[in-house]
Amino acid sequence: MSAATVLAPLAQAAVPRDTGVFEFLLDGQRWTGSPGILGDLLDTVLLCAAVIALSIVLAVPLAAYLAHERKAQLASAWVVNIGRAIPTFAIAGLLVPVSLRGGYGFEPWPIFIALTLLTVPPMFLSTYVAVKQVSPGAVDAARAVGYTERDVLTKVELPLAMTVIFTGIRVASVQVVATEPIRAFLGGDGLGRYVRDGLGQRNQNLVIAGAILIALLAGGTGLLFTAIERLVKPVGVRRLGRPKRAGRLQSADPLGLAGEGTEGTAGSADRDPVVAAADRR
Amino acid sequence: MDTDALPALRLRAVRKRFPGSEADAVQALDLDVPRGSIVSLIGPSGCGKTTTLRMINRLIEPTGGRIELEGTDVSDVPATELRRGIGYVIQQVGLFPHRTIGANIGTVPRALGWAKARIAERTEELSDLVGLERVMLDRYPDELSGGQQQRVGVARALAADPPVLLMDEPFGAVDPIVRTRLQSELLDLQERVKKTIVLVTHDLDEAIRLSDRIALLNVGGVIEQYASPDELLRAPANDFVAEFVGDDRSMRRLTLATVGDLPFERGPVVDVAANDLEAQKIMAAHRSDWVGLTEGETFLGWIDGHELGSGRTLNELPRFMPAAQVTPAQSLRAALEVIMTSRTSVAVINDAGRFRGVVTLEQIRAGLAGDLAEQAA
Repeated sequence: MSAATVLAPLAQAAVPRDTGVFEFLLDGQRWTGSPGILGDLLDTVLLCAAVIALSIVLAVPLAAYLAHERKAQLASAWVVNIGRAIPTFAIAGLLVPVSLRGGYGFEPWPIFIALTLLTVPPMFLSTYVAVKQVSPGAVDAARAVGYTERDVLTKVELPLAMTVIFTGIRVASVQVVATEPIRAFLGGDGLGRYVRDGLGQRNQNLVIAGAILIALLAGGTGLLFTAIERLVKPVGVRRLGRPKRAGRLQSADPLGLAGEGTEGTAGSADRDPVVAAADRR
Repeated sequence: MDTDALPALRLRAVRKRFPGSEADAVQALDLDVPRGSIVSLIGPSGCGKTTTLRMINRLIEPTGGRIELEGTDVSDVPATELRRGIGYVIQQVGLFPHRTIGANIGTVPRALGWAKARIAERTEELSDLVGLERVMLDRYPDELSGGQQQRVGVARALAADPPVLLMDEPFGAVDPIVRTRLQSELLDLQERVKKTIVLVTHDLDEAIRLSDRIALLNVGGVIEQYASPDELLRAPANDFVAEFVGDDRSMRRLTLATVGDLPFERGPVVDVAANDLEAQKIMAAHRSDWVGLTEGETFLGWIDGHELGSGRTLNELPRFMPAAQVTPAQSLRAALEVIMTSRTSVAVINDAGRFRGVVTLEQIRAGLAGDLAEQAA
């Protein structure tokens, strides 16, 4: 189907130039038809999901392990910097002839590989940094109480690194979704098709409609990952990222029984105030 | 100290050279830690005190030598198993911030597979032991003060009731007032739990206050002196030790010895029924302008010597009850403070209402010149 898309201009989303942006977006036919927005959305989502899943599998465990072992610090920085310099479009473009020669068609492999190369470095970096920066005291204590190295990683380092790891995954995923539409310029479809076809037909409104769809999906992806993060995180980890003492105690004390200061509620209210004051950090 | 028993910890020719280093961080270190005692490792930075401590629970593997815990070579025990049997407290406390205080304390019991009910029971017991309110158990570490966190650290280390406790500058991160209080709490705790404790510190006062014995290390893990705090201060083994303990070691010893360590002396004191002559005699013997009155075991107060001979009995003369009193358990430093503020230059020893004698400057000076520990024994 991919090769056919490029070769058969009839498969383009033909839209009259006087169709308004919202007229287009709010037309049910445009969503359910063939080609339709829903089908393209599904195409994009599936590809992105596959890229993100593979990238997580490739980047997170390896980075976590290497950071735990304090290994490959230089190599990691190097790989990540190279990774950042990779031009996704160029890589995908270069991979197209390779894919065609191998009999795999125009897509999805070239774009799939290019997007994965785009996604792995930031996920790797955030995971590596997140694990490495976990409080050395907690790690030292974990070893000292007889945790195995594996326990140290899974029960202390990963939970404490989780927030940063999740942020890395979320940012990289939004980037994937935002970049995926170049697929439409490499012989594929997906949501990028409306921008491509709009440009081809010199239909500005279609380009804008396509851009809006892509932006919405990217934004939605960010929200989705935030929601997943909330669901997955254990209670103890969830509260780590929150603002410090004052805010939390206020919410824990809706009746305002804690009084003016926040310190009193930290369990020292019933102690000698001088001692309690000294005891506070 | 039970010197007959096998030491809880025995280090023999323990050596550590870190990879890429030219010199040994610790060279051929021998150390016996008697069971139930607190031993401090102290010395300048780079003396290998923390390295030595961490070799005991194999957070650092020794390059050579032998470390025995209760007679067993620690290298014969899997590291994780060994560490579960040794409590460990560090300066940064290292509580797990994503777990409640209760879960933090129960870390080792959970690793050992205790039943939930037993862990909960033990956790509450420990929070009582270290003086932590039970409501804290459901809180998280960042909701606690530094002092409270360090108590949790100690409770976590004690959770599975290990015979040996290693402490690496445990009170280094809290302010001086809290530090002093945590030190007293540790001593109180030790009275009850009687652990073998190895403590690393750079604070000589802390070492003096807490330790039964102090190992003073020089660079390269060389023990310059291993002795009781009093001996270290009284008889430094060499110039290095003398310099380390400083010029004010007599003052430091004052904090170490108690009034009870001095031989009790009754001082210029007579019974309330005595006559003027007896009173004058005892004042002359003590070269004192004051005479104390007792009735049975109660100290009634001081009488000014110039009031004698006025025809009134001792009981009729004006007397004043001094605030200048000490208990046998107070330090000589405290006694000195009391003497300084006393009109009679004498502190009365009041042992729960019973008159035991008096302390004078001269007695304190004489006490420091001799061996207080021997006198106490």
